[in-house]
Amino acid sequence: MTVSSPRRVLSGTGAILMAPVALVARLLDPPLSALQRVGGTNGMAAFFLLPNMAVFGIFVLLPLVINIIYSMTGGTALFLADRTFVGAAQYQRLFDCRSYVDPKSCTEDLFWTAVWNTAGFVVVQVVFMVVVALVTALVLNRDLRARSFWRAVFFFPVLLSPVVVGLIWRWILQRQGLLNFGLYELGLTPVNWLVERNWAFAAAVGVSIWAHVGFYALILLAGLQAIPKDLYEAAEMDGTRPARVFWRITLPLLAPNLLVVLVLVLIRAVQIFDEVYVLTGGGPGTATLYLTQYIYEVGFASFLRNPGLASAASILMGAVLIVLTLFQLGIARRNEMRGKR
Amino acid sequence: MKTKTLLVALAVGLMSSTAAIAGDVRVMWYSDGVEGEVIKDLLDRFMKENPGINVILDDVGYKVVQEQLPVELEAGRGPDIARVTNLKTLADHWLDLTPHIADPAYWQANFGDQFDWMRPDGSKIIPGFMTQLTLTGGFANKTLFEQAGVEIPGADATWDEWVEAAGKVQESQQLNAAIAVDRSGHRISAPIVSYGGNYIGPDRMPAPIDEGVKTFARKLVEWTETGRMNKETWVSAAGTTYRAGIDDFINAQVAYYYSGSWQTAALSGKIGGAFDWVATGSPCGTEACSGLPGGAALVGIKYTQNPEEVGKVMDYLAREDVVREFTERTLFLPAHKGVAAGALDFKTDDTNVKGALDVFVKATGQVHPNANALPAWKWATPIYGVLVTRISQVMAGELSIDDAFARIDEDIKAQVEAAK
Amino acid sequence: MSRITLTDVSRAYGQVKVLHDINLDIQDGELIVFVGPSGCGKSTLLRLIAGLDRPTGGTITINGQDVTRVAAADRGLAMVFQSYALYPHMSVRQNLAFGLENARMPKPEIEQRIAEAARMLEIEPYLDRRPGQLSGGQRQRVAIGRAIVRNPTAFLLDEPLSNLDAELRISTRAELAALHERLSATMIYVTHDQIEAMTLADRIVVLRAGRIEQVGTPLDLYNKPANLFVAGFIGAPRMNFLPVAVFPGGRGATIGIRPQHLRRATDGEPTLKAKVTLIEQLGSETVVHGDADGHRLLAVLPGQQGLKTGEEVALAYGQENLHVFDENGLRTD
Repeated sequence: MTVSSPRRVLSGTGAILMAPVALVARLLDPPLSALQRVGGTNGMAAFFLLPNMAVFGIFVLLPLVINIIYSMTGGTALFLADRTFVGAAQYQRLFDCRSYVDPKSCTEDLFWTAVWNTAGFVVVQVVFMVVVALVTALVLNRDLRARSFWRAVFFFPVLLSPVVVGLIWRWILQRQGLLNFGLYELGLTPVNWLVERNWAFAAAVGVSIWAHVGFYALILLAGLQAIPKDLYEAAEMDGTRPARVFWRITLPLLAPNLLVVLVLVLIRAVQIFDEVYVLTGGGPGTATLYLTQYIYEVGFASFLRNPGLASAASILMGAVLIVLTLFQLGIARRNEMRGKR
Repeated sequence: MKTKTLLVALAVGLMSSTAAIAGDVRVMWYSDGVEGEVIKDLLDRFMKENPGINVILDDVGYKVVQEQLPVELEAGRGPDIARVTNLKTLADHWLDLTPHIADPAYWQANFGDQFDWMRPDGSKIIPGFMTQLTLTGGFANKTLFEQAGVEIPGADATWDEWVEAAGKVQESQQLNAAIAVDRSGHRISAPIVSYGGNYIGPDRMPAPIDEGVKTFARKLVEWTETGRMNKETWVSAAGTTYRAGIDDFINAQVAYYYSGSWQTAALSGKIGGAFDWVATGSPCGTEACSGLPGGAALVGIKYTQNPEEVGKVMDYLAREDVVREFTERTLFLPAHKGVAAGALDFKTDDTNVKGALDVFVKATGQVHPNANALPAWKWATPIYGVLVTRISQVMAGELSIDDAFARIDEDIKAQVEAAK
Repeated sequence: MSRITLTDVSRAYGQVKVLHDINLDIQDGELIVFVGPSGCGKSTLLRLIAGLDRPTGGTITINGQDVTRVAAADRGLAMVFQSYALYPHMSVRQNLAFGLENARMPKPEIEQRIAEAARMLEIEPYLDRRPGQLSGGQRQRVAIGRAIVRNPTAFLLDEPLSNLDAELRISTRAELAALHERLSATMIYVTHDQIEAMTLADRIVVLRAGRIEQVGTPLDLYNKPANLFVAGFIGAPRMNFLPVAVFPGGRGATIGIRPQHLRRATDGEPTLKAKVTLIEQLGSETVVHGDADGHRLLAVLPGQQGLKTGEEVALAYGQENLHVFDENGLRTD
């Protein structure tokens, strides 16, 4: 790798600003050239990939392996060295149930409560998120006035920190929050939104959709805009009703994007934590207790902490996510192959 | 932006590690009321008297001390001094101050009664001192009672009588609920003891829950069902998450609030002149009218790099005049025997406060031995967590009360197993 | 019956007028070609007729019925798009059937129409393939097929040959002409290529900057162009234009003569003298670029002439082949 000749960038203010960069480049040239002579171009590739691989290895792979080891230990000590090896005991404990469908019949009833809660949440949220994102994208695709403004408005919540999102909606939905205040002023009976089981669930779903739908709508919007306009004109000439245009033309051509969005939402939904934890804390009771919160509480927040059990639960959750990710990779590859044809 | 976060993380990481620089003493502190300002003031004066020692005060949220400090301690890191409530459970991490303080006998005389709360069973170390003694107890909204024409129950009124009286106020004044209780196993342990409950088995291990626990748990559930107690505080979170009912009391939404003496300063500050309020001690059960003592302590951390400096800071803060000033300004109950025996001039214009603190001091004489044993018992905190998790599930309608009782016993057993 | 009449049709986008007062009468069964340079408004005009766009002024009638406000689907027209606009996720058969299914036609009839169109356009082997699996020419035939199955009042074709390579273009051109014969349907054809216009059209409409310059049969336009623009647009290589003051009173005029109408002069004929600047040998003919008194001149001479650059050449012409245009560019005879 040789550095481009500094002569090319020398002109006016550009030269002054680029001078230190050019100097550094010139200084780096000899050692890097020497390295290339030794390692060849493949060697250079490895040299530049090494830092990132190291970071990935240390901060992703290593903790993953350590986590698996943790899941096979017991005790309350935090350090691996102080823990006792118990084999699959933690997993046995998690799976110790008379009936998997009834959390109350399980030893770790909170784990299974969290599992079924998360399953219910995932199903509902995925359906609604995809539908809302699709509708939003369809609306944003039209020739509205101030279209860019509306797109920014829908995307804005995506930029917010999840804690902020949870807090805002808690202030709106709590017993003495904005919504009840509005209802009271209108003469309607206020509802304790975050304390009624079903409303709390709806709030969890609704808030997380509000916070992220802009992102998925944007993906679908890009897909919609990739559909050639003359297809719609041809359909118009063909006398096609709007509903049929949507079902027979828009939707099939949007299918690859929809699939991507579906899998992304799915993977995200399984890991739901931040907004819900701030919004309801897992309540009322354990109505909105989801897997990630369970793992956090067992591993860190309760007395006494049980890192082994938490690790086991997180490994199980990770297994589900790996399956979903492989599914997503498969789809991505299929889209790629389709594109090449 | 990413670099910025990295740098911040790095800075936080460095901050939370033990100060390796000689002469630096890092104090992790939390505040219920005004203690943060008071301690900062006192430490500033200490640094003037001792120019070689730099004391850095980190005033963090209570949650940080509850949840993050234990993790740091496990990792062998942490501050040099910390203000902690989980004294017994984390006792292995406290520094023995004996070689570093000027006069261990002084410490023993004034703080010795509570040392067992802060050190492992059988140990003789001096880990630190209690910054305040706390006692659980109730607060009543005098103005609301007067407006409703209901007499405030006397010192030997039972829980049922209190709820009935507060209920009358609730109906008359159209309140949201009659009483509020913090979502905390620690808080309800006092009434449990008053109903004859005892967690500690003959072998100092947790015993299966007894009638005392069941009676009061049933009452709590009944009060939420009949609308006397606001469901929200207990039901709006899951697991062991702490939720305080103080906002309802401050906003005059309930007539009676069962919490503890450490809330006095906060109540004074936040209520101001909005209404008159009194402390009422703890309502009676069948066996006693007991509160649960406790408190926060300032302890030295075993992993400090500057134990000598830590000793100097602790000596200063444990001085009688300093403790007196701290107590008078923070409106806490002092743990220092000498200070408690003398006259205290609490720095407040709020007449409610003076009366409240007097009531609490008197109520310390009502503490039942079962309650007194709890702060020194290492299984107390885990049991608090279990109680809160399961009872709130019953209130939310997820478990039947009997299932909850079975679960509580199982959970406690699991905790004991896991700690082996 | 399919007569389409445009009366004072105009289209403006805000302040910008793209079509000005178009008046046109399209006869039943004719193949009429809209031709003109880019941006002249020919595609816009086609879309107005199709109903994909609404005129800002004027009326459009089909067989006497005013369709200016009628939706595109209800005008009974079929359009072949420049990019074919085939539904990429459907097979050819489904593409052809789509419009008919919208009309709730019974299945057997749909099948029959598809079979007929497929036979006509020789796309039977591809009926179950997707458009992505077809070549450009095959796709174009499918696009035409989609229009045919609708039995429309008129066909609208928007630059259908522009995406094909040169050789395919010529063969497809012939096929389109044959198709027009066979179907005897009205076809409105838009192109920028004057050769396509000349070869296919019954009548040509020359458009420039949103106005009709001339309407007429191809030979009409070739022999009697109404103005300088049409004269220069029709015919390749372009007509030679030479400024000459011929009118009494000295008003300016332009004389036009086509390169093909110039020949090597024999003695005694009126001639144009030019200096040869470039010679293009095509074998069957020679294109000679010359300079006559500072004016560029092209001559297409038969065979191989043996001329050299720099040579002086005398070119003769017949009077009947001169076109005279006044100072406004309009024809004067």
